[in-house]
Amino acid sequence: MLQVSLNSAIHAQVRCAAALLVFFIAPVVCAQSQDETASSPADVSLPQISPVPIFSAGLAYNTFIQGGTPNLHPLASPVILIPFGENWLIESRDTFEINLAPVPGENGYKGYLQKEVDYLQLDYIASPYFTITVGRFLTPFGVYNERLYPVWIRDLQSDPLILPISTGPSGAGTGAMVRGAFKATPKIEINYATYFSSLSRDTPFDSDRDIGARAGIFLPGPRLEVGGSFQHLLDDQHSNAFGFHFAWQPPPLPLDIRAEYARSQNGSGYWIESAYRLSDLDVLHGDLRRLQLVARIQQYYLGKVLNVNLPQVNTNMFEFGMNYYIRDDFRFVTSYGRQLAPEGGNMNLWTLGVTYRFVLPVGHGDIQ
Amino acid sequence: MSGRRVSFSGALVFAVGSLLLAGPSAGQQGGTPAPASTGSPATGRAQAQAASPQEDQVLRVEGEKRFHANCGRCHQSPHKFPPRMVMTIERHMRVRATLTDEDMRLIVRYLTQ
Repeated sequence: MLQVSLNSAIHAQVRCAAALLVFFIAPVVCAQSQDETASSPADVSLPQISPVPIFSAGLAYNTFIQGGTPNLHPLASPVILIPFGENWLIESRDTFEINLAPVPGENGYKGYLQKEVDYLQLDYIASPYFTITVGRFLTPFGVYNERLYPVWIRDLQSDPLILPISTGPSGAGTGAMVRGAFKATPKIEINYATYFSSLSRDTPFDSDRDIGARAGIFLPGPRLEVGGSFQHLLDDQHSNAFGFHFAWQPPPLPLDIRAEYARSQNGSGYWIESAYRLSDLDVLHGDLRRLQLVARIQQYYLGKVLNVNLPQVNTNMFEFGMNYYIRDDFRFVTSYGRQLAPEGGNMNLWTLGVTYRFVLPVGHGDIQ
Repeated sequence: MSGRRVSFSGALVFAVGSLLLAGPSAGQQGGTPAPASTGSPATGRAQAQAASPQEDQVLRVEGEKRFHANCGRCHQSPHKFPPRMVMTIERHMRVRATLTDEDMRLIVRYLTQ
């Protein structure tokens, strides 16, 4: 019986490895064949300008009123980019946040500072088709965690319910990653990322031990992207997780439509979000052009194994928000959401806040 | 069993790394230089001098199109940055947003003009 179990586990790993190898090889082979046929504006040269280190930070102050209980949530997220050589980059992002909540029987709000290293990685752009990354990196499962998570980017300040699925305890992995993108045809671009992460339980570098990959197809014409993600946990129950993502910005409209689906033994679910910037409206002296309307619907279904970071009951949720852009890096955000959990936990979620981001050069770049 | 898994994972990472590292070498040995290679400054200067005003305009329009198509996938299109900052942000976004080399070059050209 034990032998059967061992053989089954080994066969599962072999199948997983074979799938990953095919996944890795395909982009490289396609990229090589593209070399021989492509004739495109890629011959365009880069300007003779030295890159300069950058210090940037996102700041936010949000008030969440969840089920009638207010929580104050100041957050600062510094980003450091240090380029060197022709193809190297060190980049990091940290998050410092406090969740201030009222304590029953006491006056005022209390909380403690939470620190997290979101990523601290060394990138080497090895070729036009792939980049090697080592260190701590954001887990490339779906696109929300990597691209949309920062408070100065996200359209709704609350996290999607399914975000903790396969992004690990902190949304990051510690290990190595290979990723890249290339044109498969003049109208189709392929992007991919594959990674190995080791186990770490040392805050603020905690991560799971797993391997995974993500691939996407981007059509620049209609601005449509679809893709899928896979992850295999190498510890505990050796479970698999998979997901799909979708993004579309129809060119004639200032509209973003995004969706993700994820499934693991911890649970499954999806979210669909739409954001419309009223930049085409020329009423009220054009002030409404700065307004963005956002709506999101999501559902989460409980899995076989409970995860403390995920809802503990089946949950449905819809949210509606309005963001007002003072500038492209400074905005007021507000939203209302209703959480519906048939087994208990119906509540309203109000959000009111402000987000800001600045970007500064550090030192001087030499123009050659 | 644990040791076998460790060695299996190590072999997998090694195999994948070898394949990927071997990939571009094989392509270069084929005698066809990659059109979108990161290039040396000297090569870039020669290509820049060869561009006519009409080609410049075409590339600028294409760069603006790629800028909105790629940067708008995640966030509002930002205002322009100084060129030396653009060169750094380009590397960052190339990794973060998995931009193609061609898109990156056109966007950098558009943002630094």
